[in-house]
Amino acid sequence: MTCDAVTKAIPLYYYGEVAPDAEDAIEEHLESCAQCREEWGRQKSLAATLDRHELAPPPELLAECRHDLARAIYREEAPAVRRSASDPWGLFREAFHSLWHPGIRFRQPAGAVALIALGFFAARFTGTWPAGASFAGFATPDAMVSSIRSVQPDNTGRVQIALDETRRRVISGRLDDHNIQRLLMAAAREQDNPGVRVESVELLKDRGSSAAVRGVLLEAVTHDPNPGVRLKALEGLKSFASDAEVRKTLAQVLLKDQNAGVRIQAIDLLIANQDAATVSTLQTLIGKEDNNYIRMRCQNALRNMNASVGTF
Amino acid sequence: MLQDAAGAASARAVAKVDEATVIRAVQRGDQDAFEQLVRAYDQSVLRLAMNLLRSPEDARDVYQEAFLRVYRNIHTFRFDCSFHTWLYRIVTNICLDHLRKRKVRREESSIVETADGPVDRMDNFEQEGTHANPERRFWNRELGSRIDSALGGLTPRERTVFELRHYQGLRLRTIGEMLGTSEEAAKNCLFRATQKMRVVLGDLV
Repeated sequence: MTCDAVTKAIPLYYYGEVAPDAEDAIEEHLESCAQCREEWGRQKSLAATLDRHELAPPPELLAECRHDLARAIYREEAPAVRRSASDPWGLFREAFHSLWHPGIRFRQPAGAVALIALGFFAARFTGTWPAGASFAGFATPDAMVSSIRSVQPDNTGRVQIALDETRRRVISGRLDDHNIQRLLMAAAREQDNPGVRVESVELLKDRGSSAAVRGVLLEAVTHDPNPGVRLKALEGLKSFASDAEVRKTLAQVLLKDQNAGVRIQAIDLLIANQDAATVSTLQTLIGKEDNNYIRMRCQNALRNMNASVGTF
Repeated sequence: MLQDAAGAASARAVAKVDEATVIRAVQRGDQDAFEQLVRAYDQSVLRLAMNLLRSPEDARDVYQEAFLRVYRNIHTFRFDCSFHTWLYRIVTNICLDHLRKRKVRREESSIVETADGPVDRMDNFEQEGTHANPERRFWNRELGSRIDSALGGLTPRERTVFELRHYQGLRLRTIGEMLGTSEEAAKNCLFRATQKMRVVLGDLV
């Protein structure tokens, strides 16, 4: 093999993409030719340099992508859910499965929509069960047993069972209805179901002008364990970024939240209205922040405010 | 050694069977299975898009578009190639579209002018083996901008083939299959890409 042929083959040889007999010939040539060995060294050095320059997407970008995808799939699914609404109990089963089956995250928003739709259909097709009514027999579809208190057989072969029951009620109404808002605020605190929380906060986020709703959003931003819910709540606080209480909460979030996406959103809201407290928060954050992007945002914001990037 | 190889081959076979089961469940409308499928591949999809496009915003768009296409078209997947090949074909097609559009708008640099001077948006993202030493960081940044410029000089197809072979470790035969071209054409692309990179980066390596 000539030097020219070996030089041309080296890139493909590096990637193991030459035929076995050509590989043998190249190796034989490299053993005896210093010039081609140098060329081979340059190829390996180029590859090593490129390896070191591979970009690794940060975990928060992956988390945001997953969140966006779940939302997009929910938007695609929603019409299908509405189409199947002619069968309310089928819809209920679907919604129940979506909301309470552990591990299903893509379908939770669709489940919430299904339950709201169910409210409408249940009212039309099944009527209303009077509050406090006990059921005779097991045909009642919306009663659930929470605990059995006692079991007492009698002499006739029958048995008396005392139980506590919980009853599912479906309520539907407009978003500006005060009672609906109260229920949504309770749902936004629903501990066991992040799907319900995220949907409730989504529905409440445009109603932050109410102090009670704003309180719920602030609580979600500070305490909700799910970053998706916290991000939604931050969106709802966007219009109130100049409010003192909101700013205090944003500063806390910025310094304490474990999720970089949430911290980035909190910075955006804080620097939209600059004040002395923001400077101090950003300076503190720079000292402890691991994320390069967030540090850069802080530095830029501080420079824009003519403040030093550190405390001395 | 032989046992290890046999073990690995059998593990791959089992994984393939399991994956086929998951894909069939997705085709039946099982959302849980879809999530499982997404989570099995999404990190490598995002990494591929990020390295090909060198822009987190574009990588995010590609991620969403690719998995939505999978979601909408999974019923057409007939197991005549591996799911990995099918998915990567979707991803590379979307990335190629992005790269071609970018070529039309002229190559975008990751460096943006700000009031504080030029800032490289990609500095916000960790590179493999990034070092804390400031001198080393400066050197890495310099090298990074040269690599970006070298990659910018490749055609979209050369860039894709290079990325898939160098960073993703795929064989040229598979890459040809993904891009709807021959192994030989993929080989030529890789050769040209390497030559161009060596011209631009020659004095640094």
